[in-house]
Amino acid sequence: MSRLGQELRLFLRQRLAVPTLALLALLAAVSVAAGVTEIRRQAETIARIQPLQAAEEAVVAAWVSRDGDAGNAAYYTFHATWDRPSALAFAALGQRDVAPYVLRVRALALESQIHEGETYNAELALPGRFDWAFVLTFLAPLILIVLLHDLISGEREAGRLQALQAAGGRAGLWTRRAGLRAGLVFVAVAAPFVAGAAVSGAQAVEVLGVLAVAGLYLLFWTLVCLGVGALGRSSVANGAVLAATWVVLTLVLPALAHIAINSANPVRQGVELTLAQREAVHAGWDKPKDATLAAFFKVHPEWRDTPPVTSGFHWKWYYAFQHLGDLSVADPVRAYRRGLESRDAWTARVGLVLPAVGLQTTLHRMAGTDLAAQLAYQDRIRAFHERLRRFYYPYIFNETPFREGDFAKAPRWAEGD
Amino acid sequence: MPDLTAAEPAIDVRDLCVDRGGAPVLRNLRLSVNAGEVYALLGGNGAGKSTTLAVLMGLLRPAGGSVEVMGLDPATQADAVRRRIAYLPETVALYETLSAYENIAYFLGLSGDRPSRAEMDAALDAAGLQAGARTRRTGGFSKGMRQKVAIAMALLREVPVLLLDEPTTGLDPVAASDFNALVGGLRERGAAVLMVTHDLLGAADCADRIGFLAGGGIVEEVRADDGLDVLALHRRFGEAAAG
Amino acid sequence: MSPVLHIAANELRLMARARVAQLAIALVVILSAVAALTAISQGRESQEIRSRFQAQADREFDGQPARHPHRMVHYGHFVFRPLPALAGFDPGVDAFTGSTLFLEGHRQNSANFGDVRQSSLLVRFGQLTPAFVIQALGPLVLIFLGFGAIARERDSGLLRLHFTQGVRAGQVVLGKAAALSVVAGLILAPALGALAWLTLVGGAAPVAALTLAAGYAAYLLVWVLATTSISALAPSSRTALASLVAAWALSAILAPRLATDIALLAAPQPTRLETDIAIQRDLKEIGDSHNPDDPYFNAFRASVLKTYGVARVEDLPVNYRGLIAMEGERLTSSLFERYAERQFADQRRQSGLALALGLVSPTLAVRSLSMAASGTDLEGHRRFLRQAEAYRYAIVQRLNRLQVERLTFSDDSKRNSDPEAGRRVRIDPGAWRQTPDFIYRPASTTEALGAATPGLLLLGGWLALAGGLAWAASRRLERAGA
Repeated sequence: MSRLGQELRLFLRQRLAVPTLALLALLAAVSVAAGVTEIRRQAETIARIQPLQAAEEAVVAAWVSRDGDAGNAAYYTFHATWDRPSALAFAALGQRDVAPYVLRVRALALESQIHEGETYNAELALPGRFDWAFVLTFLAPLILIVLLHDLISGEREAGRLQALQAAGGRAGLWTRRAGLRAGLVFVAVAAPFVAGAAVSGAQAVEVLGVLAVAGLYLLFWTLVCLGVGALGRSSVANGAVLAATWVVLTLVLPALAHIAINSANPVRQGVELTLAQREAVHAGWDKPKDATLAAFFKVHPEWRDTPPVTSGFHWKWYYAFQHLGDLSVADPVRAYRRGLESRDAWTARVGLVLPAVGLQTTLHRMAGTDLAAQLAYQDRIRAFHERLRRFYYPYIFNETPFREGDFAKAPRWAEGD
Repeated sequence: MPDLTAAEPAIDVRDLCVDRGGAPVLRNLRLSVNAGEVYALLGGNGAGKSTTLAVLMGLLRPAGGSVEVMGLDPATQADAVRRRIAYLPETVALYETLSAYENIAYFLGLSGDRPSRAEMDAALDAAGLQAGARTRRTGGFSKGMRQKVAIAMALLREVPVLLLDEPTTGLDPVAASDFNALVGGLRERGAAVLMVTHDLLGAADCADRIGFLAGGGIVEEVRADDGLDVLALHRRFGEAAAG
Repeated sequence: MSPVLHIAANELRLMARARVAQLAIALVVILSAVAALTAISQGRESQEIRSRFQAQADREFDGQPARHPHRMVHYGHFVFRPLPALAGFDPGVDAFTGSTLFLEGHRQNSANFGDVRQSSLLVRFGQLTPAFVIQALGPLVLIFLGFGAIARERDSGLLRLHFTQGVRAGQVVLGKAAALSVVAGLILAPALGALAWLTLVGGAAPVAALTLAAGYAAYLLVWVLATTSISALAPSSRTALASLVAAWALSAILAPRLATDIALLAAPQPTRLETDIAIQRDLKEIGDSHNPDDPYFNAFRASVLKTYGVARVEDLPVNYRGLIAMEGERLTSSLFERYAERQFADQRRQSGLALALGLVSPTLAVRSLSMAASGTDLEGHRRFLRQAEAYRYAIVQRLNRLQVERLTFSDDSKRNSDPEAGRRVRIDPGAWRQTPDFIYRPASTTEALGAATPGLLLLGGWLALAGGLAWAASRRLERAGA
């Protein structure tokens, strides 16, 4: 019988050991199941919109192609984009519940489309989701505290401490015991994750990465528990001190950091730029057409030599001032983006100090569900929108009729976009 | 102190039977302590010493027999009985962040008493607690000092009955003999003292009578006077406990 | 002094002498004060920004040059949801719902630029507001200071000393609970100060502020009674601490998230994209104004011609194109309303499910009450969306009516080919200035109280339960005789 096996039997015979570990494993399993269900639902939604989108496009194609007006085709056709969840997204749902993962865009000015939100129940989003990252960040340390707060003090209170220490191998004994408990906690929380990752088809490297981060986080809390235990206070005092530490590290300091980061990096440009962009776009109606087109041709000289606009209204002119509207707010758009990235960067810095924040940041980065992922999706939408414009421009500027068959030639959102 | 010279014993236990967890602990126990008398109840672990005290305080209901403390039944008149009793547990519990004065004022205040500083000093003098210790927090007090605070409380409350639970266990010989002298002082004040103990020598030193509890009842009772053969008694009690 | 007060006073003196207790109370009071100050200043700042933006949007709308009215329909209008005065106390879902909405013809846009999408993941750790401090941290402080109140004294024998002095178990429980209530009062004090400030200076409704104060007092009292009772019932102070912290984690940390997942699983909502497509499809089914042979619009034309007693749309005394625009807007708007109400109903069902979990978590109950009374619940946002949609419809139809009445059909038809006609269809910008501004009507006190009622009732139930527990704990303590 190995020493560790002996310790295991001893530990599992304790009154609270098995129920506590089982509870953690159950919560982790429920969170993984909830995450997998949610991600599957999101994937189903993405699949479901494809036929809907095709049907709507067919309706537009049917009447637009009657007169072949390319301007109408570009105006009335919405193009779907989506952000497919990564294989790890089930473990850390992150911002996917409040940011859209499906969005339609047209070849009109983009800034009035790209900030569009999703419909969700804000009252439910407020507390956040019950995902695996939550169980690991908030609940696993509590379970560790339950199992480790009396590691040494419990033996002292039972009057066994001196006998145990006299038996020799002091450091070895406590390392063995603490390692055993922390190891069991790790297994209880990690096993459901591995199962979920297998179901979601995550790669072994990703899984190992998450497990490594989780292991480090639990190691931190194990050391905290041992450190507090080493001060030689009673079990009750240890429990109270550790619970207070938990509250401060996982609730109070992150909330304070949030206030500090958001007030240090104000982002008002979002509203400002949409207001400004609308002014720019609509002022286009009242500006001389030649001036508008001249400005547009500076950006797109390839259409300079197309037939001039003579009538009161022409799509060329319309799409020109739509695009100019976007260009006019390029600076505030960049500033807005910088503000958001700065908030994210500061959060990553806070994560270096606060383990709970660091863990959340890392997990959500790995799962591709954080603010950076949201911004990356927007970048892909911008690139796609660019392709859309460039697809419609030849029809509009060359005044080529847009026929039913042309709809199929439009750029399609691809996963790699 | 009230006049306690009445013929009635302060503690009168007759044919007391108590069961705990379905098992009999006390069987037909008979015991009486008079005012101005110190009675030492000896017995092995689990003999029922603490159970007897719990019944006297009305914390435990007897299965049979009768119990009277100052003529009152603890089972039905627990409050009235408790007002007439001071109980000293094996380790006297005090609020460690409060001083001796503050502890006394608090516990006496629970029954509405507000002793003056002079009254407290008089009681603490009688109990033998050094003047310098009285304003210190009791967290650092030894067992003997805690007992002195508890005795002072009993004196201030002027209770006619004192119940002492293993008072000298864990005291060094000097402190133990000091405490036994203090108990002698209580007797002179006319109190009835029932003391539960393992310590035959201490009992012989300060008690008037010694009862030996075994098998749920008193198997032998002796009067403690100068002629008592403690060693012989020790052997007899040992045999009784084994048989 | 009665034994209850005597015990309470002593317990407070003990706390005042314990370093841990001093530290815990100081921390939570400071945190509560910091939360109140930042929440008030942030609330005021964001309200200022919103009203500044609203004024800018109003000014820009009024300042538009002479235009075809339909241009103005697409120029649209921005409206901003004002922050209720009590949002400084509990911002509720404010950060999770966009605060600005772009209103235009035949489209319903989403409210955008909510803080949640503009923040890092830190926002999901919970926001430090007075409401959060009391909801989540308040109970924990009460637990730390109170778990040993009775259990530790039983462990040490002090409790028996009380009983031998003729004190009853109920008096001990009540006295300890009274002392802990004083701590609860200290925790509550900065928040009450914030409420008073928001009422006196910020113009919040006193009844709503009182409801909040009463709700939070009841909530903390539930924890006071629960802590004292568990301290009396648990076999040791260690068990008392463990069970209380577990109860807290369940109520304040686990239940809200579980409630979210259960509600979303039970009543999922379609995405915005699907709703958009569904609305377009329904619209096409009613009628397609682009199709010259569409039966619905043909019938509409026939009825218009009949009303005016003319044979051709060119002969109408009003601009038929404008009438088509009005009819189209009427159709889309009715669909928007139908889908929005369906979505609101879905959300209400979800929130109702989540609130039902308030049966296992007093934190959920107080959260619901708090957001409702502060006017920062989802119902408040829905009220904004509904009023904004009504406003959108009103101004769009007003502009369409200008197109009907001030433009001729012939000018409107050849506005792009005939520059003179193109000039004539631009109407005087005075019309924009006459368009009324958006004025948000916040929830009335009655409405706010109505929304707060389920939470209040749940809290009342919890208070009764906690009282019952305290009574049972006293009984058991008395019987056990310590």
